[in-house]
Amino acid sequence: MDNSVFETIKNIEELPTLPAVAIEVIGLSRRPDVSIKDVSECIYKDPPLAAKVLKMANSSFYRRGSGEVDTLHRAILLMGLNEIINITTSVSVLSILPPKGSEGESVRESFWNHCIATGLIAKRIDKELGMKSMGREFVGGLLHDIGKIILDEYFHDEFMEARAFSIDVDCPMFAAEMEVLGTTHMEVGHFLAQKWNLPGYIADINHHHHHPGEAQYKDITSLITISDLLAKAKEFSCGGDRMSFSLTDQEAWHILKQMGHPVLSLDLERITFEIENIGEEVRRYIATISEPGSQESAHDRD
Amino acid sequence: MTGIKTSAPASMMKDETFRLLRDFIYEQSGIYFSDMKKPQLENRLLLRLKANNLSDFDKYYYMLKYDPQAGKELRCLFDSVTTNETSFFRSPPQIQAFQEKALPEIMARKQDNGEKSLRLWSAGCSTGDEPYTMAIILQEILRNKLCEWNVKIFASDISEKALRSAKTAVYNEYTLRSVPPDIKQKYFIKNGSQYTIKDEIRMLVELQYLNFNDSKRVRLMRGFDIIFCRNVLIYFDDTAKKRFVAQLYDNLNHGGYLFIGHSESLHNISRAFKLVHFPGALGYKKE
Repeated sequence: MDNSVFETIKNIEELPTLPAVAIEVIGLSRRPDVSIKDVSECIYKDPPLAAKVLKMANSSFYRRGSGEVDTLHRAILLMGLNEIINITTSVSVLSILPPKGSEGESVRESFWNHCIATGLIAKRIDKELGMKSMGREFVGGLLHDIGKIILDEYFHDEFMEARAFSIDVDCPMFAAEMEVLGTTHMEVGHFLAQKWNLPGYIADINHHHHHPGEAQYKDITSLITISDLLAKAKEFSCGGDRMSFSLTDQEAWHILKQMGHPVLSLDLERITFEIENIGEEVRRYIATISEPGSQESAHDRD
Repeated sequence: MTGIKTSAPASMMKDETFRLLRDFIYEQSGIYFSDMKKPQLENRLLLRLKANNLSDFDKYYYMLKYDPQAGKELRCLFDSVTTNETSFFRSPPQIQAFQEKALPEIMARKQDNGEKSLRLWSAGCSTGDEPYTMAIILQEILRNKLCEWNVKIFASDISEKALRSAKTAVYNEYTLRSVPPDIKQKYFIKNGSQYTIKDEIRMLVELQYLNFNDSKRVRLMRGFDIIFCRNVLIYFDDTAKKRFVAQLYDNLNHGGYLFIGHSESLHNISRAFKLVHFPGALGYKKE
């Protein structure tokens, strides 16, 4: 198959689009002079989105200290603008590509399990390495494979064939996708991230998480590469990719090492054992994001 | 308090005796009982006390230390202080990594070099479930090509009792709980509720007594392609672990793999190996 799948995707008119407010918030994040008021007022323009953002801010993933955070203004003061923008981005993408797939043998649910696990692992390693990615590592992990959802949604049979090929031949998913679909989830994900005007690092992660040496944001992309592998090693994958690997052989590992991150001090065995119990955290995240937010709490009280 | 000093009952181990016995066992085997494990040691040695008709642990210690027949008792002691909990196809992801990844990789390399020999070691084989699992897998992979290969599976343990049981090779339903039905039918002879391993599997395994503290003999275990040493390191303190793992590294061929217990780690024990992530399991490779 030539690259016609990618060309077709580029021309699909009804491709999911991000809520207008989400696009605006992401746009605001690029402005150096952006204020708390700008961001909170913008999110409040979409009450269901605002409610979900507040709900996530109050979930065990983000909540710090006691007492409920009842306004976005307060959430931003407590958590910082970056984190609220991260949450808005995650919530928006998950609202248009929900974990419950459309029908049939969709891989949507296991897909999100894998992506959330990748985000959570990235968060742990970021902390252990002191990388201070400020929540971007979680969003990066969460959204690194969005191309797969689009391939599954619009070319389901071919995507399933690629998955079977990856298992049969024991090759990476992207190689199987290239073989069957003539494109990869990286190419499609990168296109989608750009189309949605997502932050540059997310587009970069989508494009290069299997070859982080080519990335512009090398450190966070490498972090996601490693987290992605670890998630797959613990069977958090949407099929295919049952590869064996040694982290210390990975390009991503060498990039992080060269950039001065203390990778040699990582207790990889402990991190791997801890990942075994990550399933519960993944389920909680999905439950939080799947329930509607409380509309009352979304009213502007600033 | 009455001020009358009562002597400890025979079944109680004094702290001082505990330390003497602990150090003695450590010297002899590398097996280490931390202070927290005193009740465990006490409990396990109580049976040895009774078997030797001794009234207290001090006498038992002196017997071990100075009796000319102590060697025999020492082996009974090792039987008592080791746990022989094991089963066939234990920790399936590890077994899968062995079967689907490590073994094919090594065999392909050997075949390219025209060297059709395989040496595997089940270090701490207990009642034989692990080495026989390895043998079954090899039989399944190679089938009628098995005779073209020179295959040897060494299986060692410090417990003679466990080795006797491995030699008898009769198992119950419970230890076979993870064995697929077709494998069970193919390689076991059922007799009531008991299963005996077939000779074609048994003959691939060579059982032997080995104390890991006996460095001269351990050093002789050379040229292995894969070593399983699962749930053995837990018996050692860090010093003994480091010494033993360094030895295991030397026992392996380049390109060979070491598998340790499912939740055991070599972090802070050895940096010589390369950690390999298999689906659902870890392995350590000697490059």
